[in-house]
Amino acid sequence: MFEGLIAFGHSLWSFCDPLSLGLILLSSLVGVIIGALPGLTATMGVALMTTLTIKMPSNQALLVLICTYVGAIYGGSRSAILLNIPGTPASAASCLDGYALAKQGHAGRAMGIATSGSVLGTLIGMFFLALFTPILGNLALKFGSYEFFWLALFGVIIAGTLTGDDPLKGWIAGLVGIFTAAVGQEAIYAYDRFSFGSRDLAGGFNLVPALVGAFGFAELLMAVRERPAPVKISPFDSVIPKLKDVTKYWRTILRSGVIGTFIGILPGVGEDVAAWSSYAAAKRVSKEKDLFGKGSIDGLMAAETGDNACVPGAVIPVLTLAIPGSAPAAVLMAAMLIHGIRPGPMIMVENPTFVYDVVAMMMFATIGILIYGLTLTNLLIKVLMVPKPIILPIIFVLCVVGSYAISQRLFDVWVMLGFGVLGYALRRFHYPVAPLVLGIVLGDLMEKGFRRGLVLSDGELGPFFTRPISAVLWISILLVILLKFPVVTRLLGRMKRRAAPPTSTP
Amino acid sequence: MSTDIFPSSPRRDLQGGVAWTMFGCIIAVLSWQMDRMVQQGATLHTAPGLWPGIVGTLLAVLGGVLMLRSWRRAQRIGWDAAEADDTDYAPVSSFALAAAMFFVYALLLVGRGLPFWLGTALFVAAFVFVFQYTGRKATGTVLRGFLVALACGVITAILVTLVFEQLFYVRLP
Repeated sequence: MFEGLIAFGHSLWSFCDPLSLGLILLSSLVGVIIGALPGLTATMGVALMTTLTIKMPSNQALLVLICTYVGAIYGGSRSAILLNIPGTPASAASCLDGYALAKQGHAGRAMGIATSGSVLGTLIGMFFLALFTPILGNLALKFGSYEFFWLALFGVIIAGTLTGDDPLKGWIAGLVGIFTAAVGQEAIYAYDRFSFGSRDLAGGFNLVPALVGAFGFAELLMAVRERPAPVKISPFDSVIPKLKDVTKYWRTILRSGVIGTFIGILPGVGEDVAAWSSYAAAKRVSKEKDLFGKGSIDGLMAAETGDNACVPGAVIPVLTLAIPGSAPAAVLMAAMLIHGIRPGPMIMVENPTFVYDVVAMMMFATIGILIYGLTLTNLLIKVLMVPKPIILPIIFVLCVVGSYAISQRLFDVWVMLGFGVLGYALRRFHYPVAPLVLGIVLGDLMEKGFRRGLVLSDGELGPFFTRPISAVLWISILLVILLKFPVVTRLLGRMKRRAAPPTSTP
Repeated sequence: MSTDIFPSSPRRDLQGGVAWTMFGCIIAVLSWQMDRMVQQGATLHTAPGLWPGIVGTLLAVLGGVLMLRSWRRAQRIGWDAAEADDTDYAPVSSFALAAAMFFVYALLLVGRGLPFWLGTALFVAAFVFVFQYTGRKATGTVLRGFLVALACGVITAILVTLVFEQLFYVRLP
């Protein structure tokens, strides 16, 4: 334990130079602004910053990306509270009570609650990141091809089930993502699949342009499809967080921090589910249930703590299993690979100090959002007042540059356009986009696990089902799928009613 | 069962189901036709087409399930029943114009011989001017709108070029 603390101290100290501190302040600011602007998501922000930081040393680049990520998730609360428009999907839950508080003249207090919830949520998540990563990393060493196949499939199934309203559509989106990952040269014989003679397609689809398209360009098309709403911000009170809000709702903060972190660990689920789950859990046990949706401090605190705690949580599976816990974490993982860092089970063996470096980066990002939470209000308001026709083309220019700069191929710009149209179409037909992205990220891992497993077992499917960890995973997948069938839920409901003790009538 | 009204109507879902089933079948057929690599010593479980064939088949199956489900829903609630959508949509023409401008910039103005800063300045200026024109005309500030649009275009082009190329050494198209 002390070795861990010493390593963490070393990591903290390594970032205490003027350049790193400057990068922390700048990237946190960029993240908060990106998060606050409707039309720009945290995924887009991290993807754009990945492009900007390609030539930087790996630790500095990841510091910038993590600060941007944390800042963006926090920044979404600003437009949620002031405009009732979530800056990122993660802040949708904050709109309910944040905007209600703003209408009552307490926008400043709401922003103070968002700041304290976000800071404490990130710190709680950070604690679990430091605690669980070594443990999960050691467990992951027991994973073989069979286990990685099921784990990757579990990620896509869970993402399809928990994001969006319709699991069937989520699973279809996931399969489309998995197919997309299969385009290009396959791993064993370098055979070109679905390239139709194109050398560009033979190289497959790069992850960053696909993500920029699915989350960036698609979001722009959605923004253009809707008529811009008039922006009106009322005067507000002090934004300094009140200590009594933290001490009165400490149970909510702890509960939401734990929920947010554990939802972050689930592959592909992300900050919006973390926020809503924390909100729902707080409402269930709150003594102020009636206030939820009408300006509840408890509700706002829960949502903001949950979504920010999800950020370190989403990084845990990235580091230990090379499986992202959210879409921005997927970009973070791509950035790690670009900078020569190999996330996965071997990280605690090959590069154990890197884990503590990431924890230190989270700490500095938390300090960054605390500073800007207290000071940035007026500047953010000016940014939020910029009309849509000015913001949208600038974001699109950044989408084009961000896609091109990774490999300097115009093909990647076309990929961005294609995935943007696909992402827009999926949203219009009410398909969730997160499973598509997770399918693209995990498809390769899934296929490699499947084919290697078959080679090792000489074509036998038995080991896929009989190895202990594989068994846990495939049974979990089966349960998740079966519980979505109305027949099964009705049967379970009947069994539960039969098992319940009979109530006596007077 | 409840009314099970979803955001998407049964008709839309049926169309989606047909599309996914066809797409899945195409993937499966193309995978089946792939070289089995027998001369390289491949077996069925290492054949390049195995994995995409499985994915395509599953996609076709789920597409079929979606079709069946939408047909059954339609029998209960009607083909066009869907949750009310209270989004205030802009006219389709303005959406189409914006999308066209995005595509023209990405496909024609970038990486086709025109300097990046010039293409970017033209695109941003044109977009801002076109989409603020109605408001500007109503307030009689069209010339001011043109100058603002031009300024936005030039500033964006200069800043993006400076930050990406000069500060971070990232090559632009």
